[in-house]
Amino acid sequence: MAADKSEVLQGTLDLMILKTLQALGPLHGFGIARRIEQLSEDVLTLNEGTVYTSLLRLQQKSWIASEWGVSENNRRARFYSITRRGMKQLAVETENWERIAAVIGRVLALEAKAWP
Amino acid sequence: MTDRALTFLAKLQALFAQKRADTAFDEEMCTHLEMLAEKYEREGMSSREAARSARRQFGNTTLLKQRQRESRTTMFFANVWRDVRYGVRQLAKTPVFTIVCLLTLGLGVGANTAVFSVMHAVLMKMLPVQDASRVFYLHTTGFPDGASQTGDSNTSFSYPIYRALSERSGLQDVMAFIPMSSTGKAPVRVGTAPEEAAGDMVSGNYFSGLGVGTELGRSFVQKDEDDHTPVTVISDKFWATHFDRSRDAIGKTLYIKSIAFTIVGVAIKGFEGTEGKLPLDFWIPLQSRPEFNAWGSPAEDGTYLTRQNFWCMKLMVRTALGVSREQALARAQAVFEQAAYTGVPQKHAGSETYQLSFMDGKQFDGQNDSFARALKTLMAMVCLVLLIAMSNVVMLLMARNASRQREFAVRLALGAGRKEMVRQLLTESVLLVALGGIAAWAFALGATHALGAWAQIESNLQPDRTVLWFTLSVLFVLALVFGLAPLRAAMSSGPEMVLRSSATVSQSSSQKMRAGNAVIVTQIAMCVVLLVGAALLLGTLRNLLNTPLGQKPQGLLVFGVQPQHAHSAEESIAFFVALQQRLRTIPGVESVSMAMNRPGSGWSNNNSGVLVDGHKANGIEPEQVTFRGNVVGADYFHTMGVPFVQGRDFSDGDSHTAPKTVIVNETFATKYLGTLNATGHILSDGKGTDPSLIIGVVKNHKYTSITEEAMPMLWTAYTQGGAVNQLNIEMRVNGDPLAMLPTVRKIITPIDPDMPLLEPMTQTAVFEQSISQQALFARLAGCFGVLAVVLIATGLYGTLAYRVSRRSAEIGVRMALGAQRSQVVWMVLRGSLLLCAAGVVLGVPLAMAAGKGLESSLYGMKSLDAASYAFAIVGVALVALLASAVPASRAASVDPASALRME
Repeated sequence: MAADKSEVLQGTLDLMILKTLQALGPLHGFGIARRIEQLSEDVLTLNEGTVYTSLLRLQQKSWIASEWGVSENNRRARFYSITRRGMKQLAVETENWERIAAVIGRVLALEAKAWP
Repeated sequence: MTDRALTFLAKLQALFAQKRADTAFDEEMCTHLEMLAEKYEREGMSSREAARSARRQFGNTTLLKQRQRESRTTMFFANVWRDVRYGVRQLAKTPVFTIVCLLTLGLGVGANTAVFSVMHAVLMKMLPVQDASRVFYLHTTGFPDGASQTGDSNTSFSYPIYRALSERSGLQDVMAFIPMSSTGKAPVRVGTAPEEAAGDMVSGNYFSGLGVGTELGRSFVQKDEDDHTPVTVISDKFWATHFDRSRDAIGKTLYIKSIAFTIVGVAIKGFEGTEGKLPLDFWIPLQSRPEFNAWGSPAEDGTYLTRQNFWCMKLMVRTALGVSREQALARAQAVFEQAAYTGVPQKHAGSETYQLSFMDGKQFDGQNDSFARALKTLMAMVCLVLLIAMSNVVMLLMARNASRQREFAVRLALGAGRKEMVRQLLTESVLLVALGGIAAWAFALGATHALGAWAQIESNLQPDRTVLWFTLSVLFVLALVFGLAPLRAAMSSGPEMVLRSSATVSQSSSQKMRAGNAVIVTQIAMCVVLLVGAALLLGTLRNLLNTPLGQKPQGLLVFGVQPQHAHSAEESIAFFVALQQRLRTIPGVESVSMAMNRPGSGWSNNNSGVLVDGHKANGIEPEQVTFRGNVVGADYFHTMGVPFVQGRDFSDGDSHTAPKTVIVNETFATKYLGTLNATGHILSDGKGTDPSLIIGVVKNHKYTSITEEAMPMLWTAYTQGGAVNQLNIEMRVNGDPLAMLPTVRKIITPIDPDMPLLEPMTQTAVFEQSISQQALFARLAGCFGVLAVVLIATGLYGTLAYRVSRRSAEIGVRMALGAQRSQVVWMVLRGSLLLCAAGVVLGVPLAMAAGKGLESSLYGMKSLDAASYAFAIVGVALVALLASAVPASRAASVDPASALRME
């Protein structure tokens, strides 16, 4: 339906969630989905359920922790927050991402003329 | 890596909270959907449309739930469970194979566990005391002339030595303990029935020095020793059996040798004293009453406290912190050298200096060498059995897995990963080993009990945690071997194997054959070693059992009697004379006599210093005239069934007032009088005093044990000696000797209610017990030999049967080309006989080496006994033939037509 929207890579989603939690503090799954939707300006399409798969994975690695709490409109919801291990991992991943993005950027910036 | 580990842990945790996690996720999902729908409604959708959009935006909930559940926990256990179920099915499909494997493992590992358990308890286990590394038994290499001691010359010390060591040696504690009697037991009474209980008389610091606490009440203090207080600490077991673990036991009275002792404490559970084989029931502080003289000996010349030359105390020490064992020993040695000569003539210049030594504070103090050696030999034997058992199971597994090659090939072709196959095979072997291990443990519990009973060890030998670790590590190794060894055979099959015809498969590689042959040859060699050992030991047992005793122990009842209220010589002699008269009147009693040392029990008086008719005996210096002696009653030799060479037996007339009489044996007469015609000669002590008349010469017969060599012996009558505090009554009766016991008890009780019959048994049993260790050793060796033979037979049978079945096509071809059935049979038999011959060639030198090691345990056998070797060789040859008979006949019955058609 939306050919102009890109699929979200699994690893990328993990990274985005980690960053979101780091930036905004404890959030529930719905909040995380909203935040990513908002930031991506509808460029990324996302089955919101996938967020939970990602959350479980992160939790098993102890990068995030969860806790039951009450949402802004008085619903019982599970709040996720980033752990100290998660912070470290985020730093590593961010650096990785930037390096790769830079490389890809350079590669894509090459002009056809440079080739004989 | 840590992320993986963390993930695994999280999954593991989730295993136990499946349900909760499911509902929690459901709730989380619902909330999300509701919030999303609300958002859409706010943006202007109708509520139905909002809900639909929300669901679309969220994705497939069922799929998500399933994914979530899968990744939340691990599939590992589900997989293992599947493998286990599959393994069980595989094992159940081949029940004979499974049962053979389990029995093999159970017996092999179980025998190892049992023997190790006993060996551990006897040779390695430390006393359950605090910091046992600083606690030692004190041993000496000897004692000075003029000292009198108990027979345990290595472990006996005098009271002055004990005092000197505790005061001057710088040892933190010197603990003394003295058995109540030569059997270690004493008559006690809690309620009305008298019984025997094992106890020690100990120094005040015994419990505190060892660091042994109490379950209840207090232990002893120095004041108990100084005042000889009549208090007692009982063992946990005695507390349980006699007081039902009631706290009221404290303050109750325990009558020991008719004296009232107040129970003040219960020793901590697990502490059974320091007497090794004999677990103790009670402890009392050192006593000064004459009836509590050391080892229950008569106190006519004073007790152990006053007779300075009476070496009778066993000692243990605790070295001070920070002092090395050597330093402590050196200081103790200096003190000992001085104190050793208290009450005896001073040391001659140049005579031997007796050396003290510290022995580790083990449960069993310096367990005698022959038993230790026997245990080590047994351990070696069961290890061989285990090796045979192991290689057997490996071969069976390999054969089975090779015949499953098709199955593996199909599974590989259908897409099973090699990893899965390995896991499957490992699971099967672990399953086998686990089941075998359970069987082994059950077997070991029973076997340990039997071992302890046969070795006459009453203390606890049951497998403990160390033994469990030993067994588990053996099992672990087995599981690895069983899992990995057959792996190669199984994995060598690629999926393409399915496509090949069976003929190709049946070409078993010659390399594999050779490996199998090597295993069989080794097994047969080990079997030869075991059989030779078993034959040698069983021959020893046969020799022991057939050794003529020179007397008739059948029909004799023996029990000890210790009068509690007769202390002087006159009183005790009168007591026993009256008792003998009374017992003679029982109907069915042929004759009654008594002996101070029970024949066959190993005890004897060893004396020296005799002149014959006032001269040197046959030219031998008096102190060189050594002999074994016993103090007996009237009619002794008649009762025991020992024939006379000449002269007469002791009679009632040989009383205190009559001239002193002695009876000697043949060896004494020929060695010291130069003639069998010895009656009428006069023996006197080394100084020419205390003359006694030889009234008879008896045939040589066994006194201390069955293995005793003929040696000079001399008997005196108790009626003509000093005080006797205990005698063994020998009664020759009609019918079953033990059936007489109730009658005897009825007669004894009115005489003294505190006097139990001590160790009542048949005289035959006494002699049997004297060789019980050898008998145990031989019977076990025999069992292991048989076990090895059975194992070899099954192993050989399995391998041959497997080979024949694989070669049926080849045999069919041979027969089609004109081979006779007899030729085919011979082909199979020849193969196994060749293997057998190779095994014998390898095994005989090994057996010779092993026989050399056994030499000291043999009686009347040489280690190169030809009959034993012949027995072993014929044995394995027969086994090889029997094991190959069935496969050979199967080979002969191959129908060439159908064998070829199968191709």
